[in-house]
Amino acid sequence: MLPALHIALRFTVSRKRSLALSLAGVVFGVAFFILTQAQTQGFERYFIQTILGTSGSIIISDRYQSRYTSFGENLEGAEDSKSLFQARKPDANRGSASQAKRKYYEGITNAAEIMRVARQFSNVLACAPVVHGNASIRSNFTAEIANLQGIELDMQLAATALRQQVIGGSLEDFRINPSGVILGSLLADKLQLGVGDTVQLTGADPRPRTFTVSAVFRSGNNIIDERRAYVDLRVAQALLKKPALVTQIIVALRDPDRAPALSAHFERLFGHRARAWQERERGNLQIFSTLRLSAGITVSLIILLAGFLIFNTLTMAVMEKVREIAILRSMGYRRGDISLVFLGQGFVVAALGSLGGAACGALFTYLVSLIPVKVTGFFYTERFVVSWNWAHYAAAAVIAFVAVLGASWLPARRAAHLAPVDTLRGSGQ
Amino acid sequence: MSATLEAPPVLDETALRCAGMQKFLGEGAARIQALRGVDLELMPGEIHAVVGPSGCGKSSLLYILGLLDRPDAGTLWVQGGEVSTWTDEELSHRRNASLGFIFQFHFLLQDFTAAENIMIPMRRLGGWSERDMRERAVSLLEAVGLGDKANRSSRALSGGEQQRVAIARALANDPAVILADEPTGNLDSANSERVFDLMRRLTHTERKALLLVTHNPAIANSCDVVHTMRDGLIVNEQRRG
Repeated sequence: MLPALHIALRFTVSRKRSLALSLAGVVFGVAFFILTQAQTQGFERYFIQTILGTSGSIIISDRYQSRYTSFGENLEGAEDSKSLFQARKPDANRGSASQAKRKYYEGITNAAEIMRVARQFSNVLACAPVVHGNASIRSNFTAEIANLQGIELDMQLAATALRQQVIGGSLEDFRINPSGVILGSLLADKLQLGVGDTVQLTGADPRPRTFTVSAVFRSGNNIIDERRAYVDLRVAQALLKKPALVTQIIVALRDPDRAPALSAHFERLFGHRARAWQERERGNLQIFSTLRLSAGITVSLIILLAGFLIFNTLTMAVMEKVREIAILRSMGYRRGDISLVFLGQGFVVAALGSLGGAACGALFTYLVSLIPVKVTGFFYTERFVVSWNWAHYAAAAVIAFVAVLGASWLPARRAAHLAPVDTLRGSGQ
Repeated sequence: MSATLEAPPVLDETALRCAGMQKFLGEGAARIQALRGVDLELMPGEIHAVVGPSGCGKSSLLYILGLLDRPDAGTLWVQGGEVSTWTDEELSHRRNASLGFIFQFHFLLQDFTAAENIMIPMRRLGGWSERDMRERAVSLLEAVGLGDKANRSSRALSGGEQQRVAIARALANDPAVILADEPTGNLDSANSERVFDLMRRLTHTERKALLLVTHNPAIANSCDVVHTMRDGLIVNEQRRG
């Protein structure tokens, strides 16, 4: 061990009271940082799980066709007449001028072919075709406008979390009964319907059709749960008068974080609009990011406060140890050694504080995860959702070390620059 | 920080030598000349005493000779090496390897035991195992009659015992020169005599050069050379047979 660190350790241990105070500040700062990050990221991840479970990582929808560039727009720089009538290539950068000029055509007519190609990508886990549109849904009690989605059950189960979302009824009934319908839980409540009840659906085709409620699902997202109703794909195509048309393909990925790059590639490859979940939910995700940042900054202040405590403690220590500093210098200890003696004390506090804080943070996080709390709206949960992420612990430790070593630096520098002879002259004569 | 430097070269048999040493203290109107051109030479095995009234420059001379302060004029050689061009790092290394200090108020580190205090300069020098350091610390403590108190906290030692530990600590790295600033000034006469006898014995047997500042005439008269200082100058040098 470095000789200066050996002395630092002993000095630290000998000042138990001030050490305990400084240490407590770092421990609680680190622990609360970890706890807040675990909570905010926990809810954020749960929200992401919910949206991936209902709408997949990528949604491929309308076909687009770039408009031909007008003659006047391309006069400048045109080298030959051919380029003037050449369609612009689709631009992956959304919001660009070329994208604004795109013309979209509803739906996908070659869904099977697109899904076949998409499945060739190693990151693609599953694809599911969907046709959707509005339909009137009527029970004996009341009528509502539903977002009707026609699905291929097995494909839908592979690409979404529908199986986990079912809270009543049976998916097998839906599979064998072409007149089966799966209702969102809030929609079923509004219509006062239960599993086995009958309901009438009217789409673009004015003739109502009678369906039996096969199952009820709860995604946790109120917007979905109060409007969505699933029926068989071909039945929905007939009801909505969209024969042989699929309005979107849900793509589930093994690594959803890579969705933006793949969606841009799909868009170029298929000539259809492809939106990654990060783009679809940008607004909500920004709220979570802002909350995490806000909580992180607030809790970091506790660690900074602990840094001030360290600063005070070490400044006092330098004043108290001025004689020891002089004697160490007389014994051949360099300025750097003296600096290290005090930085070492800061290091010990930061290291112990980070370790203790990490342990407390993990304990607090576990205890909070046991707290029953019912959340609906964005997602559904009956307890606090927390995220166990080593990065939170690493970030908290980095903040603690920066704050504590930063606070130790000035006293350490002051100690290193004390003239030993002034102290010795004052004490020795 | 813990890197060990080469052992300082011994270029001259003279342990310590200074010539024309001058030092000013204070600023502005309060500025005074503490040393006015001091010449001094210490040879191994010799005990030198510096005596004189308070404020005559004894301690200023001691701190300059101990490389804790720099002179305003004059030249200083330690074991033949001229120190004026040495960096702070080199001066520190020389203090660690070649010089031992004993102060009036022992200046032990209170958070360490007697043996650990002696091991502090050894740790800085490097090249010792923990076991070797401990064995040497205990043998030095035995030499000063405190072998049974190696593990005692320095707080739990009497004034005389603490000063003896300080002497042992000054010898830890086997220095060529020992500089002592009134080492017995804070002790009763019995302890004072015991400590000085110890220093004298070690100096002669280990061939150290010892320079001590003292107000005690009995101790001064027991030294090989007595330098009398007045107003920043050595006004008299008396060698004893």
